[in-house]
Amino acid sequence: MSRRQLFSLSLLALVALATGFVLADQVRTQLLTPSNQVARYQALVRSLQELEATNADSRRQIAELRAAIDALESTAAAQSGTTQALRNQVADLRTHAGLVAMHGPGVEIVLRNGVAGPGPGGQAGYLVNFQDIQDVVNLLFQGGAEGVAVNGHRISPLSSFSGPAGTVVIDQGNPLNAPFQVVAVGNRNQMEHLMGDASKLGGLRNRQRALGLALSFQGSPDLTLAPYDSALETRFAQPA
Amino acid sequence: MPSRPSLNAVVVGLLSALLAFVAVVQVRSQFEVERSLSGVDPTTLAFLIDDLHRANDTLARDAGALAARRAALQGGSNQEAAAQLNAEAAQLRVVEGLVPVHGPGVVVTVDAPLTPLDLQDALDNLRAAGAEALALNDQRLVTSSVINGDSEGVTMDGVSVRGPWTLWAIGDPTRLSSAADQMTRALRDDPRVHSAGYRAESDLVIRSTVVQRPFVYGSA
Repeated sequence: MSRRQLFSLSLLALVALATGFVLADQVRTQLLTPSNQVARYQALVRSLQELEATNADSRRQIAELRAAIDALESTAAAQSGTTQALRNQVADLRTHAGLVAMHGPGVEIVLRNGVAGPGPGGQAGYLVNFQDIQDVVNLLFQGGAEGVAVNGHRISPLSSFSGPAGTVVIDQGNPLNAPFQVVAVGNRNQMEHLMGDASKLGGLRNRQRALGLALSFQGSPDLTLAPYDSALETRFAQPA
Repeated sequence: MPSRPSLNAVVVGLLSALLAFVAVVQVRSQFEVERSLSGVDPTTLAFLIDDLHRANDTLARDAGALAARRAALQGGSNQEAAAQLNAEAAQLRVVEGLVPVHGPGVVVTVDAPLTPLDLQDALDNLRAAGAEALALNDQRLVTSSVINGDSEGVTMDGVSVRGPWTLWAIGDPTRLSSAADQMTRALRDDPRVHSAGYRAESDLVIRSTVVQRPFVYGSA
C-alpha cells in the first residue's frame, strides 16, 4: 500500500468517525424534540400576544365608554341642580379611585434589571419583580402620594401586584417588563426624602449593590397620571 | 490532463458534506431552542395566559356594563342619570372603603410576629385573588393604606396594631379560599409562626371604614 493510499484511508476513517460522533449526538439530543418545543413555545407566545392585544383593546374601550358616560352625565347635570350635586359627589369619588387623570408635583422612579449573577440568588434576583414594585408604590403612599401609576397603569384602591420573576401584572392589565417607570403625584418633598432614605427598600438596595439593579428617582414640579383603565367592579362586596 | 478523482476522494467528500450538514442543523436547532426559551419559560407563559384569560373576561364584563350604562343615559332622562350616579357613588364608596360592607369571603388568622412587609404581602395576595374589601385587626385597608413599622411593632395608617393577626377579605370565595390555603400553608413553614389558619364565610361583615384624606397636591 502506497503512502498516498494510506493517507486517503486515514482521512476517510477520520471523517467517518467524526460523522458517526455527530450523528450519535444528533440522535441523543433528539432533534425532533427541540423542534416541537420551539413550535409549542411559539404557539404559546402567539396566544399570549393575541390575549395582550385583546386586553389593550378592552381597556381602550373601557376608557372611551367612561369618557362617553361622563359627557352624557354632564349634559344631564346641566339641566338639574340635584343631578349636578350628585355628579360633583361622584367626581370626587372618581378622583380618589384613580378614575380621573391627575397632575401635580411628584416623583418619577425608574427601575431596571441588573445582571445575572452566580448562585441561586443571582438566577432571578437580578430581575425587578412585582414585590419590588409593590414596595416602591407602598413607600410612595407612605410619603404622601395621592396618585401613582406604573408604566402608565394607574393604581386603584383595589390594585394588586403579581407575576413571575421579571414580569409584573397589575390588576387586569398586560404583563409588564423592565424598565419600570413609577410616577407619583403628591407630597414631592416627602416622597423624595423617603426614596433617598438608605434604610428604606432594603431588599432592592441590596440587590442594586450585588446584582446591578438600577433604581433612580427624580422630582418634578408637574407630572401627569392617566386615569385607571381597568375594571373596578365589586361583584361580592355589598354595602352593609 | 487532470486525473480522475479516486473512489476514496468521492467518499471523503460525501462524508464531509454530510458532517457539515448535520453539524449546522444541530447547532441551529440548539440555538433556536436556547434563543426562544431565554425569555420566559413555557410554564410561566401558560400561567400568564391563564391570568390574561381571566383578566380579559373581567374587562369584557365591565365593558358590557359600561356600554349598557351609556345606552341608558343616551335616552337623556334626568332621572336615569341620577339613578346611574347614585349607583356609581355606592359602588365607589365600597371600592374606596368608605362604607361598611358584607359578602362571602375568608377570615385568616395568624399568630406570629409579622413585619409590615409580611402584612403587605398577605394583603396583596388576597387582592390578587379578587378581594374587594379587606380589614386587618378590625382596620379597613385599601391599596394606599400605609403599613409601617415602629419601635414597638406595626402601625396601619398611623394606628399602632399588635398581633395575633386576623385578616377579613370579602370577594370571590373560591379564589380567596385557594389563596388563603396557599398562604397559610406557607406561613406554617415559617419558624416565626405559632399558628396560621383560615375559614370561609358565606356572609362576612366588615364594619370598619377608611378615613379618606383630601387631595392637596394633585388636581384633575
